[in-house]
Amino acid sequence: MAETVAVPVAPLAPTESDPERCEDEEELRGNEAEENNQQTGPVAAAPQNRLAKLPLSRIKTMMKADPDVSLASQESVFIIAKATELFVEMIAKDALVYAHQGKRKTLQRKDLDNAIEAIDEFAFLEGTLDA
Amino acid sequence: MAERPEDLNLPNAVITRIIKEALPDGVNVSKEARRAISQAASVFVLYATSCANNFAMKAKRKTLNATDVMSAMEEMEFERFLQPLRESLEAYKKGQKGKKEASEQKRKDAKEKKNDKSREEEEEEEERMEEDQEAENEVEEEEVEN
Repeated sequence: MAETVAVPVAPLAPTESDPERCEDEEELRGNEAEENNQQTGPVAAAPQNRLAKLPLSRIKTMMKADPDVSLASQESVFIIAKATELFVEMIAKDALVYAHQGKRKTLQRKDLDNAIEAIDEFAFLEGTLDA
Repeated sequence: MAERPEDLNLPNAVITRIIKEALPDGVNVSKEARRAISQAASVFVLYATSCANNFAMKAKRKTLNATDVMSAMEEMEFERFLQPLRESLEAYKKGQKGKKEASEQKRKDAKEKKNDKSREEEEEEEERMEEDQEAENEVEEEEVEN
């Protein structure tokens, strides 16, 4: 008796096209992907989590908050999501340098402030974060 | 359309996960640092969007596209992002194509299944009718004999 009653809630996860792969396998994989992602909290449809961790729907809402933006292609929303992910990784790592200087293993707010002040790419953040 | 304040923030759980995966094991992140990074990420989205939109408007387009975002990254001095972004975009496009083909295939299969089912039902109907006919014939024979 099959244990998984495959009722795909979300579209199938993207996989390399393999004509011999049967439908059941694909649905299982889709379910697996969903289960893995559920550990981290509410997520959007399974497929994009393979490539982007941030929910595209939320990113799109934020983009639309700009009154000058009328339409945004799906791809552009995805790229911004991905770029934001890279940004978070970058700023966390750069701030860590300052934590190490202070001989700490815990990243603190002041490490972020130091990184923002010191690194050119983060200049746009100056004055934007809550005190 | 009114956006709720929480809609303009990114989910904390995901931000935390991205931070944790970027840093070595054993490093902790204070709540304030996490909050600041999340805020910074939101600012990044808005700034990148605005920048990308400028490129779209310059090209007299109403729809922001992937190229606009790439140009924005360069403008914002995040050239280091360009290569990984290009690779991710390729993978994303492939995935979208696969999804489209998969849903088209599903629609096709569903349609064929439906046709098969109605064919099966017709055949069953025919069989039943034949059986009834045979049963009737037997009865008639008996009557004749009698």
